[in-house]
Amino acid sequence: MNQDLPMRGGCQCGAVRYALRQWPTGPHICHCRMCQKAFGSFFAPLTGVKLDKFEITRGELAIFMSSDEAERGFCRNCGTPLTFHYVGSDRIAVSIGSLDEPERIKPEYQYGIEGRLSYFGELAAIPRETVTEEDDPEKAAAIHRTNHQHPDHETNGWHPDGSEPDAEGR
Amino acid sequence: MPDINITGGCQCGAVRYAVHETPFQIGICHCRMCQKAAGAPFVASFTVKKANLEWTRGLPAVFKSSTNMERGFCKDCGTPLFNNWVPSEVIHPTVGSLDDPNAVRPEGQMGTESRVAWLADIVALPEMSTDDAFKGYEDLAAEIVATNRQHPDHDTSVWPPKQ
Repeated sequence: MNQDLPMRGGCQCGAVRYALRQWPTGPHICHCRMCQKAFGSFFAPLTGVKLDKFEITRGELAIFMSSDEAERGFCRNCGTPLTFHYVGSDRIAVSIGSLDEPERIKPEYQYGIEGRLSYFGELAAIPRETVTEEDDPEKAAAIHRTNHQHPDHETNGWHPDGSEPDAEGR
Repeated sequence: MPDINITGGCQCGAVRYAVHETPFQIGICHCRMCQKAAGAPFVASFTVKKANLEWTRGLPAVFKSSTNMERGFCKDCGTPLFNNWVPSEVIHPTVGSLDDPNAVRPEGQMGTESRVAWLADIVALPEMSTDDAFKGYEDLAAEIVATNRQHPDHDTSVWPPKQ
């Protein structure tokens, strides 16, 4: 597994990019109802670094304060949930799925189990598996041709319409 | 519309919806586009006809992740709300945005070419409740409860509540 730093990530559209300048610690999933609704999913997958080892390298986070104590950062342009930070804490967590290589960070704990969904334990055994390219080849090809997702690596520029920047990053 | 009213919305409550149909094709998608859109190992969604999805408060913002794929979210809090293949007559709201996500049960998984290697292991991770995790931090937990801005898991006539 790639051990290189910084570890980079960002939102789907690429308007917000970040770098972690230390190996993130405390990787976990949180089932609490606040994390579920913030992520629109079964749980929030998070891992953290010291605040001074987290750098926004492009754009800026939009912040929703889910309480006076917690800032949830996301991309205003595409919605990707990106960060979780307790006000005043010297740590910040990023969403594992927003990492360019989410395989690198395996969660080690699960929190908020009072909110855990009844079917979570069956996650590994959901039947009817399909592969994107085989599921609907025509649709997959159309998505591939007009994909607006930022690639899983740094780029020298970003265009909101998904078009390629020129050599100067414009 | 059928006499079904299943509600959901974003974390902050600026966007609320109701579906007037029993959800079908409930599943998770591991593809790399869904992962990055959700900031998570997969998107969990269900399916209803577009005609049976009603926006009852506010409207979602949309990012077109490709020309015909709209990903809806709340521009005020970021909650991912749906995937929409524009030419289709059905739409796929996110399971976690439902007020009662236990009401649907995933029955399929897509995009398995991108499934993270650790996915099967997370069901057996050491576990802790929120109350236990906040032992020694009871003041912080109380402050979160006292200032919680998350919309409740049911419709409200006014939101945020008037002070």
